[in-house]
Amino acid sequence: MKKWIPIASGLLAGFVAATISFADFSNSTNNQVASSTTKSDAEKVYVPFGEKDDYYLFASGGHSGQMFIYGVPSMRHIRTVPVFSPDSATGYGFDEHSKKLLGDYTWGDLHHPAFSETNGDYDGKYMFATDVGNSRAAAMDLETFTVKDIINVPNTSGPHCAAFVTQNTEYMFLPTRFAVPIGSEYKSLDDYSDQYRGVMSAVTFDQNKDKLNIAYQVALPPWSYDLSDAGKKSSADWAVMTTYNTEEATTNLEINASQADRDFIVLFNWKELVKMVADGQYDEVTGQKMIFPEKHKGGIYLVPVAKSPHGVDVTPDGKHFIASGKLAPSMTVFSFEKAFEAIEKQDFAGERNGIPIINYDSIMEREVNPENALGPLHTQFDDKGMAYTTMFISSEIVKWDPKTGETLDRVPVQYSPGHSVAAEGDTVAPDGKWLIALNKIAKDSYLSVGPSHPESMQLIDISGKMKVIQSSPVNPEPHYAQIIKADKIKTIEVYPKDENNKLATYKQDQARIERNGNEVHVYGIAMRSKFIFDAKAKRPDVIEVNQGDKVFIHLTNTDFDEDITHGFAINSYNLNIEVQPGQTNTIEFTADKAGTFPLYCTNFCSALHQEMTGYFLVKPNK
Amino acid sequence: MKAKKLSLVSSLVITLAAVLVVLSLFFPWWQMIFFAPQYPEGLNIIVYPNKLEGEIDIVNGLNHYIGMENFSEENFPELAYLSYLVIGLAALTLLTAILRKKAVLYGLIGLFIIGGGLGVWDLTRALRKFGTNLSPTAPIKIDPFVPPLLGHNTVANFVTESVLGYGAYFLIAAFILLLIPLWKDRTR
Ligand SMILES: [Cu+2]
Repeated sequence: MKKWIPIASGLLAGFVAATISFADFSNSTNNQVASSTTKSDAEKVYVPFGEKDDYYLFASGGHSGQMFIYGVPSMRHIRTVPVFSPDSATGYGFDEHSKKLLGDYTWGDLHHPAFSETNGDYDGKYMFATDVGNSRAAAMDLETFTVKDIINVPNTSGPHCAAFVTQNTEYMFLPTRFAVPIGSEYKSLDDYSDQYRGVMSAVTFDQNKDKLNIAYQVALPPWSYDLSDAGKKSSADWAVMTTYNTEEATTNLEINASQADRDFIVLFNWKELVKMVADGQYDEVTGQKMIFPEKHKGGIYLVPVAKSPHGVDVTPDGKHFIASGKLAPSMTVFSFEKAFEAIEKQDFAGERNGIPIINYDSIMEREVNPENALGPLHTQFDDKGMAYTTMFISSEIVKWDPKTGETLDRVPVQYSPGHSVAAEGDTVAPDGKWLIALNKIAKDSYLSVGPSHPESMQLIDISGKMKVIQSSPVNPEPHYAQIIKADKIKTIEVYPKDENNKLATYKQDQARIERNGNEVHVYGIAMRSKFIFDAKAKRPDVIEVNQGDKVFIHLTNTDFDEDITHGFAINSYNLNIEVQPGQTNTIEFTADKAGTFPLYCTNFCSALHQEMTGYFLVKPNK
Repeated sequence: MKAKKLSLVSSLVITLAAVLVVLSLFFPWWQMIFFAPQYPEGLNIIVYPNKLEGEIDIVNGLNHYIGMENFSEENFPELAYLSYLVIGLAALTLLTAILRKKAVLYGLIGLFIIGGGLGVWDLTRALRKFGTNLSPTAPIKIDPFVPPLLGHNTVANFVTESVLGYGAYFLIAAFILLLIPLWKDRTR
């Protein structure tokens, strides 16, 4: 008799019994699909505690100089990251690194944020932004959500028409909103057309050194450059940007820059410009390699467009670019392919300022004019290539088909949307899930806080018929935003130990104060819940200097633990920095005030945070 | 009467025990996990025969509030030589497998029992030392305590869980393997 038969059959019987008792034969996948289509608006935006949002929203903070980080779809504000303005909460603009980055500027006007891209898709590594207020550009590292570099852009005033990156982040282009003379020298406005220029800068970012650099500049005509986009796929070597004030008006632009029926889209081949620079086809001015289009021919073309356009956006397939009329109530769809053909055949209608003008009719595919839709500003896309254009004047979002021009859907928003942003809506592969209208006017949408109202961001579900399902107040003032899939961003929780960093102090017994003439260097430690500046001193948490000494405090947070950030402030010395877990940060100042000044940890860190204090003693001269 | 040699199968089983003993060197033997409201993911002290791993620095940083001494490899001199003892034990086990003598096996089992006992005693001693030898100047005063060798314990806002690691299970398995020949080659 075979002994294994009863054993095997026993096991089999057991499995069958277990399967019948415990297995769930109902089709759970189908159940989920069914329930998600019947979710209420509240359920769609509700992200229960313990779960996280699907997307990050990076909204430019306008003249706050900051970047606002939100979660989508909850629309919860997660973080404000200072970029162009000091921020005492994070010590930004106080510690040595960020103080150097900001220079003497105390504010900025952060406009258009742009993610770094790989193959035309967001790669989640960096975020770039420009400062219209003081002509700067910044790069933010998305491992730490901190700014790594800021560059001043010479010959330019207000890079509003930026930032936009090429599809592998080779270049970020910064065209200017205001034309100025080269070097921003004094020149009479009577000589505007001859002496002023609308300079565009090609900026590179070295990801190994975290360094921005200007590769070359282009002295475009003295017009205002408004918005821009880089080509994708077959148009990857190209970029487009809108202009207004081709009238070259120098006063009362409201009237004088709105006279011509046509302004232009500047279409340029950045690869060709790079080659021209490599071939020496440029002039060296103010230390920059400057291409003067009337002299260094090639690579730049003008496309006539309905007057004073705002946005120009490249479709996800890279085949078309769409200009939004602003003052003309229409969107114009142009074909890249036809533009390349026209350039090849020199199908030009004359030139302006030495730049060839492409024949409008040769490359225009269609003018789209949804009924009563006024003030088209900016277009985003969904996963099916459908376009969503904000209508500033008629306060709505219009969905339309770029291939047919047919209006598909429209939804009112409250009120006056400037830009809108769809989930990865300007990449080669938009997600087609959410669209957020960035509204300039909130009026009575929220509890009143007096005459000045917040701006508003409205979340629109675009998976079916468009519907506004959530509305969030936001600080002034988001101009444009980018939405990225949350799993693309890989943050660090703790700064790794860097044994090569001479300013870092990781071992408590190595905390020390070194004097060199009238320079005092403190190599200190912040940890739960004390400061150690001088391990061997009677009072390790005291720094004593002479009046007039130059003081450098190099502070290392040795709590290599998630979310244990310490702060460091000295009473009445107007300074405060933060040291994130594992980070070493330096603050430098002159001890010009004699006296006794308590110092303390400003960032709540533990139950004994209140005790995390010490003294900064400044001995008076004589 | 001349003692019969252990069977070949028993010899193989003892060899397997030697392999398990060696294997245990590469795995943690014991682990204590600290949970607190703000540490739902748990902080670990993982004890290998030759090193400590886990979030030791963070645990130390928190323990200073109750005045507990720092866990560190310097505080456990055993870690410096324990792995040599284990290798020695494995060698003796292998020797037993080769000699195939019951008396030697009895001796080896005895060694295992003594070694295991010493290990448990040593760990208990360490836990008692850390839990009862609290600094009198600590900011937070708590009653001295002895964390259990295995199982849960609550100290202030922390719940600790002590568990055996794979290494310990390998050692236990090796011990059980050593017992098998006693039964298998029992005198009938
Ligand atoms: Cu602190």
